[in-house]
Order: sequence, then C-alpha cells, then structure tokens
Amino acid sequence: MENIVSPENLVYQKPTLLNDTDMHYCPGCSHGVVHKLIAEVIEEMGMEEKAIGVSPVGCAVFAYKYIDIDWQEAAHGRAPAIATAIKRLWPDRLVFTYQGDGDLACIGTAETIHALNRGENIAIIFINNAIYGMTGGQMAPTTLMGMKTATCPYGRQADLHGYPLKITELAAQLEGTCYVTRQSVHSVAAIRKAKRAIRQAFENSVNRRGSSLVEIVSTCSSGWKKTPVEANAWMEEHMFDFYHVGDLKTVES
Amino acid sequence: MENNSSEVLLMKGNEAIAHAAIRCGCDGYFGYPITPQSEILETLAVEKPWETTGMVVLQAESEVASINMIYGGGGCGKRVMTSSSSPGVALMQEGIAYMAGAEIPGLIVNVQRGGPGLGTIQPSQGDYFQATRGGGNGDYYVLVLAPASVQEMADFVDLSFELSFKYRIPAMILSDGVIGQVMEKVVLPPFKPRRTEEEILRECPWASTGRKGGRPVNVITSLELKPEAMEKHNLHLQEKYQLIREREVRYEETLTDDADYLIVAFGSAARIAQKAISIMRAEGIRVGLLRPITLWPFPTQRISELAGRVKGIMSFEINAGQMVEDVCLAVEGRTPVTHYGKMGGIVPTPDELIQALTEKLKIEK
Repeated sequence: MENIVSPENLVYQKPTLLNDTDMHYCPGCSHGVVHKLIAEVIEEMGMEEKAIGVSPVGCAVFAYKYIDIDWQEAAHGRAPAIATAIKRLWPDRLVFTYQGDGDLACIGTAETIHALNRGENIAIIFINNAIYGMTGGQMAPTTLMGMKTATCPYGRQADLHGYPLKITELAAQLEGTCYVTRQSVHSVAAIRKAKRAIRQAFENSVNRRGSSLVEIVSTCSSGWKKTPVEANAWMEEHMFDFYHVGDLKTVES
Repeated sequence: MENNSSEVLLMKGNEAIAHAAIRCGCDGYFGYPITPQSEILETLAVEKPWETTGMVVLQAESEVASINMIYGGGGCGKRVMTSSSSPGVALMQEGIAYMAGAEIPGLIVNVQRGGPGLGTIQPSQGDYFQATRGGGNGDYYVLVLAPASVQEMADFVDLSFELSFKYRIPAMILSDGVIGQVMEKVVLPPFKPRRTEEEILRECPWASTGRKGGRPVNVITSLELKPEAMEKHNLHLQEKYQLIREREVRYEETLTDDADYLIVAFGSAARIAQKAISIMRAEGIRVGLLRPITLWPFPTQRISELAGRVKGIMSFEINAGQMVEDVCLAVEGRTPVTHYGKMGGIVPTPDELIQALTEKLKIEK
C-alpha cells in the first residue's frame, strides 16, 4: 500500500492550514466541511499570511482552533462590525467572517445588513442550519414553519414565533453587495460549487469589489435529532424548498 | 494641520479631541452621533484625515457596532477610538468587557450627560461608577482619565493611546458636557505620524495582522472554556491592574499644603471647586483641592496621606455621590467625609459649593 503513496498519485490531501486539533463538531455537521473548504481556498489563493478571520458566537466559536490563520473572536452578532474595521485598517488583507444563523440573522442583523450595505470589502460565510446548535437546539431566525425545536416544541407557528428570515434575499437587494449566493455541502457536487463560491467571495474581498455573502444551507443532526444521513435527506426535502440554492446576485466587474 | 507651532487656538473640547486624534497618529475613528459630543465625528468629517494621514473615519450603525469596530481595529494593532455620551457608552459596555478580556487597546471617549436612561443632554458626572468599576461583565478595569480643560481633552488622546498600548487595556477619557462644549484656548499636540506596518508588527506581536513570515497564529479572544485556564487569565489581568495602580496614578493638587479642608473633585467639577477655593481663601478659610486625573487607578494613597492633615473632606461631583465611596475607602474614617453634587444636568455654582462645604463640614467663618 505504501509504495503507491507518491506525488504523481496524489489526488487528495488535507489542506495544510487545517490543523490536527480534534474538532468539537458533531458527526454529520456541515461546519467541518466548510472549514476544510475555507482552508483550501486560502491556501490556493496564497493568502496564508494575509488572511484574518472573524469567528462568531455559536458552534463555530472555536473556528480559530482549526484553521491556522490569524483570527478574532467576536461578541455574538458583531463579527461584521469587527471585520469592517480590520479591512478598512488593513486594506490589502483577506478579511472574512464565519457566522451562524442566530449570530448573523438574529442578534447581529443590524451589523450584517449595514456592513453589507456599506459595501465593506469583506466576505461573510453564513452557516444556516435553522437552529441554535451550541445552546442545545433552540429556535433560530431561520427555523422553518412547523419545525420543532426546544423553544418551539410544537412546531414554529407564525402567530407565536413569526416567520423565518431570508436574510440572504435581503442582502441581494443591497447596493453594497457584489456577490450573494446560497450553497450547500451535502454532496460532492455541492461541495465543489460551495468551494467555488467561497473562492469568489474571498477574491472579492482581496480585490475590494464590495461585500460578499455566501450562505451555506447546513445540517445540524444533533439539533434536528437525526442521524447524519437522515439529516442530509431532511435538508434536501425541507430546507431547499424554502432556501433555494443558487446565485442570488453577481455583479460583473 | 501640519503646523507644529505652539499657536494658541480657540475651540470646543470635542473639537480638540478630533484634532488631537488626527495629530497623534490615530489610525481610525468609529462612532455614532449623540449629544453632547457629535462635534467629534463632525470635525473629523470636515477635516478629512483619510486624505492626509490616512486615518479612517466611519459613522457606524450604532454604538454597539462602533465599540466592536474598536475591538477589531485594536485587535489588529491599530490605534483606534470611538466617542459617545452616557446612554451610548452604556450600549458599549459589552464590547468594552470583551476588549478587557481579550486585552485589546483602544480609546473610548465619554462626554457625559445626565441620566439614568435617556436622561438629559446637559452635563453630568453620573457615569463615574460605570467607568471606574468596569461597567460590563466580569472582573476588569479600564484606565480612566478625567480632563478638566479643553487643553487636557487634546493632551489626553495621545496619553490614552500610549497607556492603552503599553498595558493592552482599554482607555477611557471620562469627560462631560461642560468640557466637551466649552470653548477655551488650546495648543494642539505636535504632529506624530501613524505607525508603519513594520512598526505595528514589531510593537504588537500579539495582534491579528495576518501571519506574516509564517509566525504562530494570533487569536484575539476572551473565551476559555476550562475554568483553570480562565482563572489563570484572570490572575494575569489582576496582576496587570495592580501594576497600573502602582505606576499610573495621576492627580493635581491646589493649595493642599496648608489646607484645613480638602475638596476632591474631577473634570468640570474641579474647575468649579478651584473658583470656590479662591473665594474662600480670600475670606481666610484654608481650603485645598485634590483633582484626580486618573479616576482608575484612583489616587487612594495621596488622599489617605492628606486625610491625616485636614479637618474634613468633601467629594464634590456632578452626581448623587459616586467618587465619594472611593474617597471614604482612602480615608478609612480618619476624618469626616461628605459629598455635594447635583443631578439631572444641573451644574452647581461655586457659591452653592461654598455654602454646602461650609454647612456640611461645619466651617466657622
């Protein structure tokens, strides 16, 4: 077996920026895949020494433990404000935030909308799994109608809880955004498309073309109380009906 | 603006802050309008320092966003500042606590107004507790400087940055609506260029600037899940605070050598106290003033020394009595301590102070 491990036979390797720290993510969680894509893209762009990430409050709070670039850990929802300052003060850096739905679309809605509307030259990677994972499965701003969580145990109802927020559709309306897309990472094909989207968003930051938002419709098998395989199937069946995958806005330079 | 002469100018305290920021190598200002300090952002917008020094100026969407921009900017090694007034600074407390936890330098200017809540737009010193007790969650302090003149508004900007970066601690200029709005003579500080990238990388090896040269990862965070590690970090912070207490206490004394009575007052209250003292001295009553310039660290030791020599001490503040608690802690019951102040945006006159001092400390004329 060992003698076939040679450079000419290499078809895949772990990105060097992704370190060997044991991830705290649950089996089947989309975060691990997206982390790997980010590490790959930064490496392929040769931006290892110029990338600064901003991690959120939520399951991805420890993103900085896994990807070997400089990071700042934000207060809940404030990552776009932090990234705004970093990018304005270090204009040649690749600056991105990595945020979940509660962080980005609930407590941090103002920071998200205004950073995008100002056209800050940052990329926002938005993990939407329709639930609060870190705190144990409570209702998120993106929880689907009828979906059960710890704080809407009988299912989300409009009169009690209001409606799920399609913040990515809102972002596409803003003058400051140059690239708004919704992706997923549940299949090899989807992962490849998501990687291209992350690369586009990161290049937009480096080239100062405006704000980019990449939503990744994601699974939360623990929060959804499903196996990883069931969670993927449930996402395809329910999430994609409401959160349509594809580009929402691409501004040609 | 490039003029480095000692030309005497006339301007508001708020304007002096803005001009001083441009001149002392500030990399960025992020703020949100609120009375009585909006002239700081307005002056910066007129001066357009992004065209001269390269200083970034941004009107943020809220005070919450502003303070997090300071977190981000300070966290990547830049000299950044924000300013606000009491209700806005209340909104910033989360971010200030995060800065303290993550040991991020930066400057917050609070031009205080009356409270609580939305309060008034008139002057107050009602945020003393908030400024000197941390204000947010957890065990921390910010370094608090209290200017008593437009000149000190200008001078304390650079001083705040220097101390803030020296100790990696947020610094606050605790001013008030009087000092912010009054026009006085001022000599602006000499011009100092913004630090270069090389200087920042050398002076802030901890900052998240990108891993230039493949150095180890820098992470700016206040989070630690293991209690043992969190305790260790807290002990480190407390050691740092003790060092600051030992090294950075600043105060000014007026006629304390022969004083029978002592007024302790900061900021605009100290200006009123100075007038009251000169009136009372003319009447033969020996009153002196100790003006804390740093409110944290507080001049506890000096007040303790003076307590052994005077017949009584009055803490004179434009609030219901906040600093008086620190004065009492310093005096430890060795001489009577009292307080006089007004609230809600009312600024006491020197005559009202003299009357209160005479009555409360039973001074016989």
